[in-house]
Amino acid sequence: MLNLPPYPTVLKPYGRAFVELARQRDEILCLSGDLTRQTEIDLFQEEFPERFIHAGMAEANMISMAGALARRGFIPFVHTFGVFATRRPLDQIVNCVAYPNLPVRIVGFMPGVSSPGGPSHQAIDDVALMRALPNMTVVDVADATEIRQAVVAIADVPGPVYLRLKRGEIPIIFDRHHEFSLAHAHVVHDGDDVVIFASGMMLSSAMSAAQSLEDVGVSVGVVNVPVIKPLDRATIIETATRARAVVTAENHSIIGGLGSAVAEVLAEEGLARRLRRVGLADTFAEGAQSAAWLFKKYGLSTQDVVDAAWRVLERPGEAPRAPTVATPPGEYAPV
Amino acid sequence: MDSHRMKELERAADLLRLRAVRMVAPHGFGYLGQALSSAELMAVTFAEAFRPGIDELVVSPGHYIIVAYAAGPELGLLSEESLTSYGHDGSALEAIGTESSPVVDITGGSLGQGLSSAVGLALAAQLRHDTTRRVFALLSDGELEEGQVWEAAMFAAHRGLGNLVVLLDANDSQVDGPVSTITTLEPIAQKWESFGWAAYDVDGHDVAALSIAMADALEQTRPAIVIARTSTSHGLACLPEGADGHFIKISGDLIDAAVAELENRRA
Repeated sequence: MLNLPPYPTVLKPYGRAFVELARQRDEILCLSGDLTRQTEIDLFQEEFPERFIHAGMAEANMISMAGALARRGFIPFVHTFGVFATRRPLDQIVNCVAYPNLPVRIVGFMPGVSSPGGPSHQAIDDVALMRALPNMTVVDVADATEIRQAVVAIADVPGPVYLRLKRGEIPIIFDRHHEFSLAHAHVVHDGDDVVIFASGMMLSSAMSAAQSLEDVGVSVGVVNVPVIKPLDRATIIETATRARAVVTAENHSIIGGLGSAVAEVLAEEGLARRLRRVGLADTFAEGAQSAAWLFKKYGLSTQDVVDAAWRVLERPGEAPRAPTVATPPGEYAPV
Repeated sequence: MDSHRMKELERAADLLRLRAVRMVAPHGFGYLGQALSSAELMAVTFAEAFRPGIDELVVSPGHYIIVAYAAGPELGLLSEESLTSYGHDGSALEAIGTESSPVVDITGGSLGQGLSSAVGLALAAQLRHDTTRRVFALLSDGELEEGQVWEAAMFAAHRGLGNLVVLLDANDSQVDGPVSTITTLEPIAQKWESFGWAAYDVDGHDVAALSIAMADALEQTRPAIVIARTSTSHGLACLPEGADGHFIKISGDLIDAAVAELENRRA
């Protein structure tokens, strides 16, 4: 069963889960790169001011310091927007965190084109950058239920983790019985014509697209892949083997992220399945007042997922139209 | 400082130089200039300030790791014979420091990051209310061109990290030539002072001056920097005029002359 949009939303699920974790674990530190409220850690600052560290607008220093703190038994969680968490201090992440394999948690908000703040604020390459680093775990979760569980799950990963989070109102897609796993991708829906692998904000688009396709008789598998590294190859191989074609959907460049990771698995396994990657097609994203406009302009809408599946299956005629979902205030639906 | 102590420290500095010459000799070239310039600074630090097992050492420019290896035997952290593996395939003693490098707590080859690492260690001690542990960070003047150094300097002063001492080897040398011909770092001491640090600007080959500066730096309740004015050819008169201080070539007779000069002075 596909749980379809619109979804109810919550505010600050990460911030709350993080405080809850810090109540149990004295070694957890919270570092902020001058985006405290925006990254939901005002909650931590209020409750644990002695473990809250203002690093200021100095991401290079923040990351290198976090590495040293981790060497001395702390578990530093570093917070800023995704662009400033990855692109800007990349060399510091490589040399002070990834190479020494230290338990620093880099939490980057505002993934992909979810921000109309222009290319400077759009993390369209963060997954690619982090995935290329040895020792790094890369997580891009879909909803508030997964966020709450992911915070706990990543606490004890021995090496570094990049956690990519949507900012603001966070949809609740999964109920409390849902289990987030660092080891296993999650088959949301079985289907054997086409399988859609989706991460983060594109999962709801994939689910909605799957429904539109199922309505016209296409059998669609949907796999939620919140952990892009280490990738659950077995589930990808198993579900892709059953299907005739594959679509990936990510709020990120199609180069270097989920789409590339899935392509690598298919090629290495000799699985001859046609692949379409939905995501930013090797472009920066300009000209927005709203994120929704960007998702449409750059081909990350539900309709784009539907079209990709339709084309990759070489179906004749027009692809079905994805429904336009009304989103009352406080609720969330993908574009 | 009495003359006996001075002589001891100078001999310790020359021992670092001698070991560095022997480490680079089989290769014919290497980061010898870094050891020649920082020998007194590190000899005084190890003899008068750094407490193995208590304090922490960051060598920010990994090229300087040679001087930490050279001090390893006296610190009880490295055997003298293991120094012969320096820079060879399969050795843990890589010429540019790595995670496997002995003697130091943190080093790295991508410059400008070590002060932030040292600040992180000092902050860890502060968060644990550990008032015993001190953190020493060796930096080079060329590194001051990296903006991250100044991010770290601001942060350290803001947090009042009095347990942090920077050892700055101001040898006016970087890959493209004298630092002063490439960018203007001066006034170095005033820059650090204006950032809230205690700064000591001294002749980096004068063990007495270094010792006095170090003693004062250790007393500070704010972070401190000892700016050691040095030369990459100091202590080896046999080196040819105009040798490239960043990456010295030394082979054949020159090695014998260097070893003889240092052994004679230490005798």
